[in-house]
Amino acid sequence: MRTLRRWIERPEGRALFALLFILVIGCVFNAHDAFFRWGTHRDMLRQVSVYGILACGMTLVIVTGGIDLSVGSVLGLCAVVFAQLSLRRGLPAPVAVPAVLAVGAAAGLASGAAVARYRIQPFIATLAMMVFARGLAKWLSGGEKVSRAVQQPDGSFSYVDLPGAFERLDAKVWGGNVAVVTLVFLGCVALSWVVLTRLRYGRYLYATGGNEEAARLSGVPVRRAKLLAYGMSGVFGAVAGICQAAQEQQGDPEAGVSYELTAIAIAVIGGNSLAGGRGGIGLTLLGAMTIGYLEKILSINAVAESSRLMLTGAIILAAVLLQRRRIE
Amino acid sequence: MTTRLSPTALILALACASPAFPKDGGKWVVGMSQCNLGEPWRVQMNADIRREAAAHPELELIFKDAQNDTLRQRAQIEEFVNSGVDLLIVSPKEAAPLTPPVAEAYRRGVPVIVLDRRVLGSDYTEFIGANNRMIGKAAGAWAVGRLAELPAVRKGARARVVELEGLMTSIPAQDRGAGFHEALKGAPVDIVYTADMKWLEPQARMEMESALSVQPQIDLVFAHNDPGAHGAYLAAQAAGRERDIIFVGIDALAQEGQVYVRQGVLAATFEYPTGGREAVEDALKILRRESVPKEVTLRSRVFTPDNVASGGEWLK
Amino acid sequence: MPEKLLQLSDIGKRFGANRVLESVSFDLYAGEVHVLAGENGAGKTTLIRILAGIHPEHEGTIELGGRTVRFRNPIEASRHGISVIHQELSLVESMSVADNICLGREPARAGGLLLDRRAQLERAGELCARLGLSFTREDLGRRAEQFPLSVKNRIEIAKALAGDARIIVMDEPTSALNHEEVERLFALIDHLKARGCGIVYITHKMEEIYRVADRITVLRDGRRVGTAAAADCPPPTLIRWMIGRDLAEQFAPRAGPAATGVRAPRLVVSRFTVPSPGPGRPPAVRDLSVAVRAGEIVGFAGLQGAGCSELFNGLFGAYGAVCGGRVEIDGEPVRPESPGASIRRGLAFLTGDRKNTGLVLGMSVERNVSLSSLPRVSPGGVLSPGLERSLAEHYVGALGIRLESVDQETGALSGGNQQKVALAKWLATRPRVLLLEEPTRGVDVGAKHEIYGLLRGLAAEGLAILLISTEMPELLGLCDRVVALHRGRVMGVFDRSEATPERVLAAAMGADVPQGN
Repeated sequence: MRTLRRWIERPEGRALFALLFILVIGCVFNAHDAFFRWGTHRDMLRQVSVYGILACGMTLVIVTGGIDLSVGSVLGLCAVVFAQLSLRRGLPAPVAVPAVLAVGAAAGLASGAAVARYRIQPFIATLAMMVFARGLAKWLSGGEKVSRAVQQPDGSFSYVDLPGAFERLDAKVWGGNVAVVTLVFLGCVALSWVVLTRLRYGRYLYATGGNEEAARLSGVPVRRAKLLAYGMSGVFGAVAGICQAAQEQQGDPEAGVSYELTAIAIAVIGGNSLAGGRGGIGLTLLGAMTIGYLEKILSINAVAESSRLMLTGAIILAAVLLQRRRIE
Repeated sequence: MTTRLSPTALILALACASPAFPKDGGKWVVGMSQCNLGEPWRVQMNADIRREAAAHPELELIFKDAQNDTLRQRAQIEEFVNSGVDLLIVSPKEAAPLTPPVAEAYRRGVPVIVLDRRVLGSDYTEFIGANNRMIGKAAGAWAVGRLAELPAVRKGARARVVELEGLMTSIPAQDRGAGFHEALKGAPVDIVYTADMKWLEPQARMEMESALSVQPQIDLVFAHNDPGAHGAYLAAQAAGRERDIIFVGIDALAQEGQVYVRQGVLAATFEYPTGGREAVEDALKILRRESVPKEVTLRSRVFTPDNVASGGEWLK
Repeated sequence: MPEKLLQLSDIGKRFGANRVLESVSFDLYAGEVHVLAGENGAGKTTLIRILAGIHPEHEGTIELGGRTVRFRNPIEASRHGISVIHQELSLVESMSVADNICLGREPARAGGLLLDRRAQLERAGELCARLGLSFTREDLGRRAEQFPLSVKNRIEIAKALAGDARIIVMDEPTSALNHEEVERLFALIDHLKARGCGIVYITHKMEEIYRVADRITVLRDGRRVGTAAAADCPPPTLIRWMIGRDLAEQFAPRAGPAATGVRAPRLVVSRFTVPSPGPGRPPAVRDLSVAVRAGEIVGFAGLQGAGCSELFNGLFGAYGAVCGGRVEIDGEPVRPESPGASIRRGLAFLTGDRKNTGLVLGMSVERNVSLSSLPRVSPGGVLSPGLERSLAEHYVGALGIRLESVDQETGALSGGNQQKVALAKWLATRPRVLLLEEPTRGVDVGAKHEIYGLLRGLAAEGLAILLISTEMPELLGLCDRVVALHRGRVMGVFDRSEATPERVLAAAMGADVPQGN
């Protein structure tokens, strides 16, 4: 009992509690045992991966006390660029992937510079990047999906083969039990964990979010810390864009619309505070699983869209309420 | 197909005495108000208009995109009228709020072609559009015929269908669904799983994965658009079940649905024509003071692996 | 006999366990200026806030014109004719002059629904004319932010008068004004007196007190020390009233650097200038020169606005590379540009505001202690938990910080222990020069003495320590020398032997005193 109470008092314990709560709902509404088959869980993990990757970057930014609204648009931009480089131009993955990551990093660093150097509020700076990156994605793609069908001058279409990188990313490994994008997501979680808990700059992120002025006067390079957070958020946006393009087999300039809200919801449901200075990537992982299972349970039970929205809203609120430090 | 002459349009055209040739030996200026360029189908509509107009140097086209904002589209229509365009093509976002600006333009003597979605009343020159309900019904009839050939169904079993709906609040989704259900009436077909995929491919893939995990047997997937059908195919492929399922979509864009049919992903896709080409043809007629029908219902084609190379087959 | 406007009787106020006012009485007659004087923390501001309705919970009574009143909020106070001109201007910068003047009392039409702009302009114009502000109608319509500070100051006064206030409180109204503007303010005060207003005037400037005061009341440690007509209270009496307590207590004599031989100067500052905090204001610190030897503790005394805090922030590079002058540490010239660079050169700065600028309260003690020394515990950028833990535990032990574990959240510690954590953070950087701003603020007596002991020990180890304190006993007891600042300039330097509270305070209030030898 004492150990249980100790667990509940920790944010990780409360996030786990919220996840267990959702899992219990899944066991009750198991849709003819579908919830008890591994395939359902494997699919959930795949579906939540792109959101989860964005939430990793979002967590780094939230720890500094900021917010990044541009992640969905950066995803769309990077999906388009990746499809153009890899699908259309046939560049090998070792060239195309770093190039796309650089595009994402550039977008993130631009937001970061606006926040850190020109002291624009994160909400506004990243809102601007959200609009700009979406526009850039549409301009680069001409407003159309960058797909395998290439229009010839006479109006007919020819088809390009799906690059190996696309197939490998959308594959499953370990006897078809785990999707590759899930491994990419877990890799992003691991990288974020190293940055936040093992690197000096991770500590700078927490100090900046905890008390920016005290951190600055303690010699913390506050600006560089913010640049790092937004830059990495951009890189994670690019990783998510590559995964999205591989799963859709195309670069859709409309991809990722409103994904930033899901990424924020994941971070917050996990128990990260939007005020900054607290939280961690473990919480985000638990938040991603909670959101993922919630969607999956509603989906396998074929709940109608209207009820689905109402239930999601209610359950998000319940999960966050469960996390309050009320158990004394 | 309903075609009837519009005396009002003729009288107005004469009364305004609009020139049969471009003024100043220059060009006729045509304004095109598109409600939203976020969907590939509407991008295609603009592309069709542009391609058709390219063959007519006497036409000058100005495009405006209302970005899915009713009030912005209203303002853009008023801008076109005030800048003195010779003809207006409008693909409205919604009927009621866009009726007044269209009617106002028409009353001020600017011919208006309304594309795809309707406005209220009759204060416009011509309406060109396809019929979603008929297309949905055609898809349903095709599905019933195809499912009847399945060995199990021949032996008396009922076929099992998954329907992936477009956005539940959108009229095209409701019409496509209603037409499909109408065709299924009385046939040995059950819809075993329905989900709202919001016209989005990733959403369709996710919903299909759920359908696959709860439904051991699925014979056919009907998606309200081709990306939805493609997303469902990717889900089935990941589960190794794509060979057991027939995938049917709607829209048949050249670079999308038709490609999927060629690749063997879709068994059929039903064209939802943009009307872009027809709009430009009729615009020229109106500007040359020739008569046009008040209402044109676009014909639709079905594309299957057998006919896709030859340009599909016209629906009756 | 002039009319008695205000009588405060036995006013008392406590914040939690902390008593800030005890049985204070104060009165005000029509046509007089009553100066309220006292050191920082004497309770002046709290008394004014009670009068203005900002602290509705208090002991004692307020009588206005013989009737007892109780204000639940500032609006009620202002309806009763009390108007406070705060030190910080309270104009809405983005609104017009006329809007500001009539804010909250807009003339209205149609049953209060419509703003009567014409009546508002007339009212504002009339008030400004009375104050000698020759505003045209266009000027009245311009935004407040377009005017210089001195004009804003008088707009603020016009605003105070718009409510027909009879009791006007001015809290350091001249802090941002130049000489000529101050004279115009005084002329205005004379005008208000003639109209029958009573004025409560707070200032730290000696010459101002005797320029405007009819009567003076002095507060000390939340109590009223005395009230007297200005003529019966010459400066020596005033200063004795303000200081009052016995200063010999608490501080045992200590061995200064002289005892261990004169050491070389550690920090030499020459002609140091910190730019003004805002447009139209004088520099915060001007042409300041001081040298501090290893092992020496030098104190800085100054009242509000003297520039002590700005001096430390400037030296530490907290404002960036904006300061003028020359700074040398151990003979090596350094240019203050950023906190990070200053830390690498051996400077450490304990700020006066622990909560907002000193500590990250949500982080653990360990992480706060290591925050400024992270490069040392993270070779190659990777944190070493072992190195960090031993660093934190070393300083927690050395400073005697009482806690369960270094993983404890810093915000959960007592004020004294928090302060020691902040000090531990700076000592962990192994500084050569220590800048301390109010090192014992919000710290209980026991912890205070421990901190004094620590500072002496650090000085003995060869650190150069610079200290700001508003507590006179602390300054005089701890420091080898005391520098008195007034409006950004050095007004006196006192060796330990010649520093008396009276002399230091007089210098800090801007009075000319003979410099130490």
